[in-house]
Parts: sequence; structure tokens; C-alpha cells
Amino acid sequence: MSGAVHSALRLKQRRDWASFMDPSDRALAFWLLAPTAILLLLIIVYPVGRLVWTSLHNLSLTSGLPAEFVGLENFEIMLDDPIFWAALWNTVLITIITVPGALLVGLGLALLANLPFRYRWPVRLSLLVPWALPLSFVGLIFAWFFQSQYGVVNDILMRFGLPRIIWFNSPEWSFTAICLAIIWKTSSFVGLILLAGLQTIPRSLYEAADVDGAGRLRQFFEITLPLLKPAIVVALIFRTITALQTFDIPYTMTRGGPGTSTATLAMYIHQNTVSFLDLGYGSALAVAMFVLSMGVTVIYLRMMGKGH
Amino acid sequence: MASVKLEGIRKSYGAVEVVKGIDLEVADKELVVLVGPSGCGKSTTLRMIAGLESITAGTLTIGDRTVNGLPPRERDIAMVFQDYALYPHKTVYENMAFGLKVRNHPRHEIDSRVKQAAETLGIAHLLDRKPSQLSGGQRQRVAMGRAIVRRPQVFLFDEPLSNLDAKLRGQVRTEIKKLHQDIAATIIYVTHDQVEAMTLADRIVVMRNGEIEQLGTPDDVYNTPATMFVASFIGAPAMNFLSATVSGGHARLAEGGRVPLGALAAILSDGDKVKVGIRPEHFLEESNGDCTVTGTVQVVEPLGADTLVHFTVGGETMTARVAAQTRPAPGTRVTLGCDPARIHIFDPVSERAYRPQAAQERHGSMAVEA
Ligand SMILES: Nc1ncnc2c1ncn2[C@@H]1O[C@H](COP(=O)(O)OP(=O)(O)O)[C@@H](O)[C@H]1O
Ligand SMILES: [Mg+2]
Repeated sequence: MSGAVHSALRLKQRRDWASFMDPSDRALAFWLLAPTAILLLLIIVYPVGRLVWTSLHNLSLTSGLPAEFVGLENFEIMLDDPIFWAALWNTVLITIITVPGALLVGLGLALLANLPFRYRWPVRLSLLVPWALPLSFVGLIFAWFFQSQYGVVNDILMRFGLPRIIWFNSPEWSFTAICLAIIWKTSSFVGLILLAGLQTIPRSLYEAADVDGAGRLRQFFEITLPLLKPAIVVALIFRTITALQTFDIPYTMTRGGPGTSTATLAMYIHQNTVSFLDLGYGSALAVAMFVLSMGVTVIYLRMMGKGH
Repeated sequence: MASVKLEGIRKSYGAVEVVKGIDLEVADKELVVLVGPSGCGKSTTLRMIAGLESITAGTLTIGDRTVNGLPPRERDIAMVFQDYALYPHKTVYENMAFGLKVRNHPRHEIDSRVKQAAETLGIAHLLDRKPSQLSGGQRQRVAMGRAIVRRPQVFLFDEPLSNLDAKLRGQVRTEIKKLHQDIAATIIYVTHDQVEAMTLADRIVVMRNGEIEQLGTPDDVYNTPATMFVASFIGAPAMNFLSATVSGGHARLAEGGRVPLGALAAILSDGDKVKVGIRPEHFLEESNGDCTVTGTVQVVEPLGADTLVHFTVGGETMTARVAAQTRPAPGTRVTLGCDPARIHIFDPVSERAYRPQAAQERHGSMAVEA
């Protein structure tokens, strides 16, 4: 995905240069950019093109029939498919909840890890742990945490005199459990990006603000946050794109249930391609997801561009 | 404006003491320069005054308040940082206005103060720019502007010119001096550059290894350096030192040179080893017979306005500043005269200057106080 971010940036920059350049410079620029452009073509444009091409065909491995060009038929089916809409809605909801959630928790972790502890490395190491764990492993751990009989969450609830919750029987509670697991897993990555951003802010700026008379809160809003903006946008892009592709954690925790209440777009793509071997329809769903990801990325890059 | 008083100020990082008891009184409207080699504790001292560094021991008074425990914002000081520390995402105007905005000054007052300061510093046309769109000299002025608009009791400068090129440094130095005269502020200024110290200071504090080596007016530290360290640190090219032996009221040098001890003869005896200090600019081209230095010319550097002659006296290297047209050939022997009144005699062991007895009693063996 970083390739997509790069190429979007590249396009924007090229447009800016073009206005300054005379024709011979433009020719030179073309030849200098050609190798990169070809490489990008091979690793991005070809697979995406192939995906789009497949999505225009009726290609189901179970039918045993050869691929047949069907135009936009797969997309028409998709728009009438209630499971697609349910999965899309769940995906968007997971994104809307877990991206800001991970950003807030990650920011908190980054600020914590950036404090002048005497021993910083244990703090920073613990920040790395959730990031280093495999997604499906996190799903399994949290499935066990939220297990109704022996799970630690219910145990804690009961100790506080609260009723036990049968988490995975209820669509809402299942969804909540999944979002909590995703936030736990992904905020450490956000935290790492933001910590790197925090470390680029010179200490003398805070000293100048101390002398100027700004308190801690004011320093946070007037110095830390504005100077952290590029890191926040990068974290948002990465986090949003992975959120739109959410698969492992709900897959291992609920398999999308109860019903389709926690099924995501990625899970539905997986089901159509891997389980049903319907590559044509699966590709159409994947194209939808790709368009969604690109759309969000462009919006973020616009946001970042405005700040400069 | 206010005075600043440091009493026995110390700073330790763990077991390492980097400031070892500073006593200093800066008068109202005075410009005091802390000068010394890198790592001698100047910045640490200044940052303790600012409140950016805690004070390990001692008492710090600004105006009539003891401020040891107060955070920077309650000390009513402004500071110009070595790297300027401008807020990169704020415009010049916002940078200068920030301190006033934080203190809830009315908008129209902020506006008039910022514009007035910008006018004074010649940066009025830059108010809408971001720091990244400014040259080094312009950034430096913005940093000063940010301090000025606050109208604090005390200004603190930490090597404010060290990131500028030589020409600009001289120019801004003059501007700072003029600024000090115009706004009549109390200023504590840190630098490792003795020229800055000499040109700007009402009084100079020469620091070494976390201690005050000498405190006095620029004339004091130049004319009567208390130690060989001060003598070699202040003035460029640095003062020359020659080993000599006392004999018959003179300090006798190698190769037949000698300098009269004058009043110091009373406290020195024949056979005593001393170090004779002579500034390059205090050699005379005409030897007057009683005060002479003889040596062998090594290198001659014409500077246009004058000439530097590097020569050796009994293995010790010396530099003399002589008239422009004087160009002795390398390898030849020269005999230069000296002014007995501008000779410095040091104890080679303690490296302290000998003073005539009366003076020695008055000042003790320590630095000459202003
Ligand atoms: N935070 C710190 N921890 C440990 N030692 C420090 C710290 N800050 C400065 N020092 C040491 O204190 C001494 C004085 O530093 P400083 O005041 O910056 O010197 P100067 O400004 O005169 O060059 C130096 O030896 C420096 O290494
Ligand atoms: Mg320093």
C-alpha cells in the first residue's frame, strides 16, 4: 500500500514541477522517471488490472466452465447482495470505531513512551509486543478473554458484581469485543509511528514555550499536535487501509457471526474466492475494496497537502 | 527591569558537578557576559537562571524574589536560544505574539507590541512568513523579537550569534549592543567568543570548569588578567608566555632577553621561576634596552593593517603584532622592545598573576573584583 501512497504523492509533485519546467527539462524528467514508472507498472498496475479484468468475467472454478466475459454483471449482483452490504457496513463501522480508537490509545502510548523515564527501553519494548504478535494469535487470545465461562473479562465483571455477558451470542457484544481486540492490537503500531514523530520535535521548542509561559496542555495543543500532524496522517493512512481489510481478528473470534453481524468485506471476499471458488464475484468485491481504500487515501493526502 | 543575584549556585548531574559555586550579582540594566571555553558550564548556569534546569544548591534572586523553585514562566525572563527554537508551524507574527497570547494580553496590545518590535529589528516585512522561509540572520532577529515583545525583567542569551557567518555576526553584535542601550534591559549573555564578550559586556565573567575564573570589566580582564587562563583566553592573538628566572629586579628570558619586574621585585627573590606574559600587540619595534625579547623569526603573516611575526625564544613560540611594513626574514634574529607597564608576571605553578604587595593585600589572591 505504501506504493500507492508514493505514487499518489509522485503524481501530485510532478504536476507541481511541470509548471516550472521548460520542455527539455520535461523530456529529461520523463527519462529519469521512466524506470520507476515501469517498476510501479509491474508491481501495482498489472495486478490491479488483472483483478479488474477477472471481475468482468464469470469465472467460477466449481462450475468447470471457461471464463466468460460478462461486463459489469458481477457488480450488479454485488449491489443487490444483502451480505455484501452487511459486510461493507461492518467494515466501515470497524474502521470508524477502531481507527480513531487506535489513534487515541496510540497517541497516549507514544506520549508515555516519550516521557523521560530512567529506563526507557522496557517501556518501548512493551509498546512493540502487540505489534509483533500475529493477528490470528491476537484473535485467539481475545476469543479466550471474552469466553463466557472461563474468560478473564467475565471474571472481572463478576468480581465487580456485574452480570456475566455471553459475548459471542449477541451481535453488539461480539462487535464490541472485536473492536476492542483490534484497538489493542493496532494501537501499538500507531504508537510507534507517533513516537518516531514525537522524537523529531526539538526539545528546545518546549523550553521556549516554557519561557513563553505556556502550560503543559497548551504546549500539547500548540506544539506537539501541529508538529505531529504528518506522523498522524501517515498513521491514519496505514491504519485506515488495514482496517478496511480487517480479516484475521473477526475470523478467529467469531467467524463473522452471529449471522453476518461481524462479517467483514475481506471475510466475504475470502469466502467467495477460497470457499466458493467464485473468482469472478470475489474479484468484483476486491475491486470495491480497492476503490474504497484508494478513495480514503486520496482524501487523507488532500488533508495533508492542505496543511503545508 | 531587575537585578539578578546568584549565591553559591551549583549544579550536579548525578555524581558529576558541572557548576561549582557561582557568586554573581548582575545590576539592573547591566549587560553581563559569561564567557569561557565549550563545556565550562555557561549554558547550564544560564539555564538555571531561566528555570530550565533545576538548581542543585545555592540561591537565585531575580529582582527581590528568590526564584529557585519557580518555573520559567513565573520568573519573568525571556531567552534567546542558540538554535533560536522558533515554532516552525507558526508565522513570524505568531512566534512573536505567542508569549503575550499565552499571558492573555489584549489583542490590540499584542499587535502593537509585535509590530513595534518587528520595526525595531527590521523584520516588519517578514511577519507572515514561516521560519523555514527565513535566512539565518532573519531567524535570529525573530528570536530576539520574541524576547523583546515580552518586556521581561531579564533577557538571557545563549550563544545567539554562533550560527551566523562572520560578517553577519559582527553586524548583529552591534545591533544587540544598540538594543541594550535603547531598551536599557538587564541582559545575561553567554558566549565562547571573547570578541563578543569584550565588545558587548559591561562586565565579563570568565568561566572555567564550572567556576568563575575572573569577574570584571572588559578593561579589567584585558589589562589585569588574574590568571594565565584568563590572559590567554581574552585577546587575540592570545597572550604569549615565556619562562624566566628572577635575577636583580628583572625576569631573565632565554636568548638574552629580560623584562623589569618593577614593584613586583619586592615580592620575588633571585632564582624564582616565573612566567612572563606579553600580548602580541604590546611589543615595541624599538628596543629601549631595559625591556627586550630576543628570538628567531619563524613565520611572517602580513594582515594588511599590520603584520604578525611568529618567532621562537628558547624553544617557546611567540607572536608579535608589528607595523604593516615590518617584514623580518624567516630565520633571522629579532630583538623587540616591550613596555614594562604592560608586562604580566605569573606564578608558573598556581598560574596566578603576581600583583604588587599593596594590591595583593587589597584584592587577596583571588580575582580582581569590579
Ligand atoms: N543533561 C546533562 N547531563 C549530564 N551532563 C551534562 C548535561 N548537560 C550538560 N552537561 C555537562 O555539563 C558541562 C557543562 O555544559 P554546558 O553548560 O552546556 O557548557 P557550555 O555551555 O559552557 O559549553 C559539560 O561538560 C556537559 O557535558
Ligand atoms: Mg553552551
